[in-house]
Parts: sequence; C-alpha cells; structure tokens
Amino acid sequence: MNPLVCYQIVALLLLGLGFYALVARHTLVGMLIGVELMLNGAGLSIVAAAQLTPADAILGQLGALLVMGLAAAEATLVLAIVLVVFKRFGNADADTARELKG
Amino acid sequence: MHLAHWNFLFGFGQIAFASYTLIILAGGGVAVTAHSLVRAMVGLVATMFGVAGLYMLLLADFVALMQILIYVGAVSVLIFFAIMLTRASADGGEAKGPGWRGILRAIAAFLLPVVLMIMLRFYGVSGSDTPKNIPVNALGAGLLGAYTLPFELISIVLLVATVGAVLLTLEKRGSK
Repeated sequence: MNPLVCYQIVALLLLGLGFYALVARHTLVGMLIGVELMLNGAGLSIVAAAQLTPADAILGQLGALLVMGLAAAEATLVLAIVLVVFKRFGNADADTARELKG
Repeated sequence: MHLAHWNFLFGFGQIAFASYTLIILAGGGVAVTAHSLVRAMVGLVATMFGVAGLYMLLLADFVALMQILIYVGAVSVLIFFAIMLTRASADGGEAKGPGWRGILRAIAAFLLPVVLMIMLRFYGVSGSDTPKNIPVNALGAGLLGAYTLPFELISIVLLVATVGAVLLTLEKRGSK
C-alpha cells in the first residue's frame, strides 16, 4: 500500500477515536480529550500530505504548527469554561449545564 | 536519515510505522474507554508521543519536537489541571460499558472515517515513497517571509485566549 494512504488511514482512525470520545463521554474534560485526539489526526494528515506529495512542504509543516497553536489556545479556553461550569453547577458534566440564566 | 525509506523489504521504516501505529491505537483506545480520566489522559499522552514518532518518520523533525513540547508539555498539563480542579476523576462512571448503546455510538462515530477511507481507496491517491527533507532554516525563512501573517495571527489568538481565560475565571469572583 502507498505510504501516503497508510498515514491518512492512521489520521482517520484518530478522527474516529476522537468522535467516539466526543459521543461517549459525558464530562466536559473527557470531550476535550476527544477533541485533542481529532486535532492530532488533523496535524498528522496535513504533514503527511505535505511531505509525500509535490505540494509545498514548508506550508504543510507551518500549517501543522498553526493547528498546534490553535489547539493550545482552545485547551486554555475550554479549561476556563470548565472551571466556570464547575463553579456554577457543582460538577463538570455536559448534561448539567442546561440553564441559560443561573 | 535513510530510516524513512519505505522501499527495502521489511525495512526499519515499516517496523517503526507499525510500532508507532500500535502505540497510537493503544493510547487512543485507553484515552477513549478508560473509566478514570487520569488514565484517559495518560493514554492521550501516549498517542501524542506516537504521532510525534510518525512526524519523525515523515522527516518533519521540527514538527515532532514541537508536538512533544506543545502537546505533551503544555496541553496535557493543562488538561491535568482541568481534571484536578473539577475532581472529575473521582466521579468515575465515565463511558458506560460496551453495551449495545456503546456499539451504536461506535458505529455513529466511525461512520465518517470509514466512508473517507473507502473514498481514499476508491480514488487511489498517489504519493512519493520518501518524504521531502526540509531544513529548519527554510521553515524559519517561511515563517518570517511568505507566511508572516499566520505567524502573527496565532500570537494574537493565543493572547486573546489567555486574556479570555483570565476574564472568564475572574468574572464570578468580581460579581460576588
């Protein structure tokens, strides 16, 4: 099998695992772990596509770095949101935060 | 670095790819199914290390190092803080056992990736066998030359995220 196809299949498996964590977990932190899995798969897919095809490799690697920076920013914001939800509702379940005005 | 050559029979490249994929899948499985969130986080760290190994195999050394620094060093510590501060691991009862609802969830989650894999086989993407070797100098030149705008943009995004996080957590205390 083509190496590019192998890397893309691993990236798609990471995407599926992330989706599954997003669906099956019911705490916000568990869902955040799923999102991180998906972002890892996205970065792997970008770098594999950039390194193994005639595309611009510098653009691909810098794109993966951009994804990493966005993941760090997103994790920071989600941590703050989880803290606020925990302070207001007493736990960090996704189901408990259903009141719009507390 | 000729380890990444795919061509010779049962080469180091294939063995390394297989073992990194095994690490990724095992870590991802633990991250998705573990009852304790701390164990799930350790599985996620293993997955990140496996992805860093695949970056090494793709000759993207700088991206691999940044993966270890940013993901394993920063993001995982951040999520550990989230687990600790919300005492989520003590709750337990995370993902339910593999009942038929779990199977339905797995089908729903893996539907899109499987469809994409079938499309991948159907359309037959073609790539070269050996990855390109880009020196770090070229990456830095690209960052300061053609791709300055995303570089500056990501710093602004990080600044806004930090300020937003501080404001979100201070808001409750100020209104008291």
